[in-house]
Amino acid sequence: MTDEKHRNGKPETSHHPETDPNRDDKNYYGIPPIKRAHWTWQIYVYFWIGGIGAGSHLLATIGYLLGWRDEAFFRTTKYTTLVAMVVSPVLLVWDLGRPERFLNMLRILKLRSPMSTGSWALSIFGSLSGLIATKQAAEDGLLLGDNFASRLAKLVPDRLISVLALPFGLYVGSYTGILLIATSVPMWAKNWLLMGPTFLSSAVSSGLSWTSLVLHIGRWGDGKTLGALKKAEKAMLIIESVLIAASLVRMGKWSKPLFSKKLGPLFVGGTILGGIVAPLVLLFGKGSREKSILASILVLVGGFLFRYVMVVGGRDSADDPESYFTFAKKDEKGGGRPEVSE
Amino acid sequence: MATGFLTDTTVCIGCKACEVACKQWNQLPADGYELTGDSYDNTKQLSGDTWRHVAFIENPKKKRLTGDVDLVALAEDVKEDLPNGAELDGLGRWTFMSDVCKHCVEAPCQQACPTGAIIRNEFDNVYIQPDVCNGCGYCVPACPYGVITSVPEDGRAFKCTLCYDRQIDGLEPACAKACPTNSIMFGEVEELEKLAEERVAQLHDRGYPQAFLYGTPEVGGTGGIKGNHSKFILMDVPETYNLPENPFLPQDKVAGATIACGVAAGVLGAVVAWAFLEG
Repeated sequence: MTDEKHRNGKPETSHHPETDPNRDDKNYYGIPPIKRAHWTWQIYVYFWIGGIGAGSHLLATIGYLLGWRDEAFFRTTKYTTLVAMVVSPVLLVWDLGRPERFLNMLRILKLRSPMSTGSWALSIFGSLSGLIATKQAAEDGLLLGDNFASRLAKLVPDRLISVLALPFGLYVGSYTGILLIATSVPMWAKNWLLMGPTFLSSAVSSGLSWTSLVLHIGRWGDGKTLGALKKAEKAMLIIESVLIAASLVRMGKWSKPLFSKKLGPLFVGGTILGGIVAPLVLLFGKGSREKSILASILVLVGGFLFRYVMVVGGRDSADDPESYFTFAKKDEKGGGRPEVSE
Repeated sequence: MATGFLTDTTVCIGCKACEVACKQWNQLPADGYELTGDSYDNTKQLSGDTWRHVAFIENPKKKRLTGDVDLVALAEDVKEDLPNGAELDGLGRWTFMSDVCKHCVEAPCQQACPTGAIIRNEFDNVYIQPDVCNGCGYCVPACPYGVITSVPEDGRAFKCTLCYDRQIDGLEPACAKACPTNSIMFGEVEELEKLAEERVAQLHDRGYPQAFLYGTPEVGGTGGIKGNHSKFILMDVPETYNLPENPFLPQDKVAGATIACGVAAGVLGAVVAWAFLEG
């Protein structure tokens, strides 16, 4: 940002080196021209857990539609979605500046605000997944045996509701990406086309890995389910790696924060090598229970780190005046103008 | 009727009366007493507690000072030869600019707000209803000018209200009232635009071809935002004032991104289904 000659204590004018007109990188004392999001740890933890919940619901619904018969598989996916959808709103409300006003999110629906549509989708998806899991709990005898509530819960048309909830669930898994791109932060906004799909692919791979992890650890899943999960995991990881690579191309030089000293090791080592390459090697090799468990854990950790570096990298991107000013230039190629036709 | 500001930076003297008047009228807390070392600007930037901010840009003449410089002589603009081969050319020009919320025509913060707390009021100003805002903070990264900011102690986001309360009572905003050089002008946007055109033409005639109006669709600074109700007459590239040359409306990408997610959802679902059928 600043020339070396300004840094060594010998400015060439008596004026402040940061506003020396002879410099070509104009900015105002290096103060960020845009403000970064205040979002704290709850947000990227939510991005991760919400994604696992959405991915699990997709699995359960596809299982229904294909006539799958593995009780442990359905139990795992449904309870996972329920827990994820109970934890998610708690994290989100926690992060609000005025948590007691969280219901204001639902006083209006704004289609151009991903924060608004996401809140609605999360509310609807959470409620529906609650119904589905309640029926499962009744069938599992978790509602204190055969009572009125339990009999009522068993009347829930869970297959129909699963299908109805699917679009909302998939939106919960992907809108987190749209949430990031609909901002003035260069690194996020540059990747407007692929951020949502990348987040969704990571959500599905996390959901697959979580389900496979639980079934392996509990030794519950039948072989057919485990085989299908493994196959899907492999395919999803390949898709995810392609989407991340394409995202980096779209971000161009604005992806710099992802390779910083702070985030580079987490992104390259944690997400790409640890979260995609290593699990793929494990899954394509000769299969064993331990290897599958390890691969699942790696995918889950990698998925979490992916969200962490995206959120924190966006903060660094917003703090960099040069990054924003080159992004919001009029004629420079790759400038900030939306490529969507209006 | 749309009201707005026109801030003519060419007559700003950097007195910061606008900052003080804004703080007093709106009862905003102090920012602490940090000395930044960035010229005489210890306010740094707009924030939830600072809705007017005077930027201090030191703009020396192009010639560089070399050798052993006598600062007293420098300040007095002495032209004579100095010992040790020092050269002087005086202090050059100061550039001041009183920054404020741009009150965008298509406001990204307003479109981002999920609660509907941010509205356009009857004066067509962008206004945050403090009793509705729940502090989600999503407006903050949406703003292309870094204006709107969360206040951690309060939890909510704040910015310039264009003195909504004063306007209701027929008064001009506190900053415009306090400005001693009329650098800050308040009025109807159309009238201010005319004033700005005249002033820019006048500056061009006087030998300042670099003067331009920032905040109109024609001149720039307006990507998809379609202009600002709060405009500035600037004498240098926008970046010098910490303003983007061509900000854009982030929400223009939402529809495209949503379609991409829909396509991705279909493909990913099909892949999982394929794995289940094959597996």
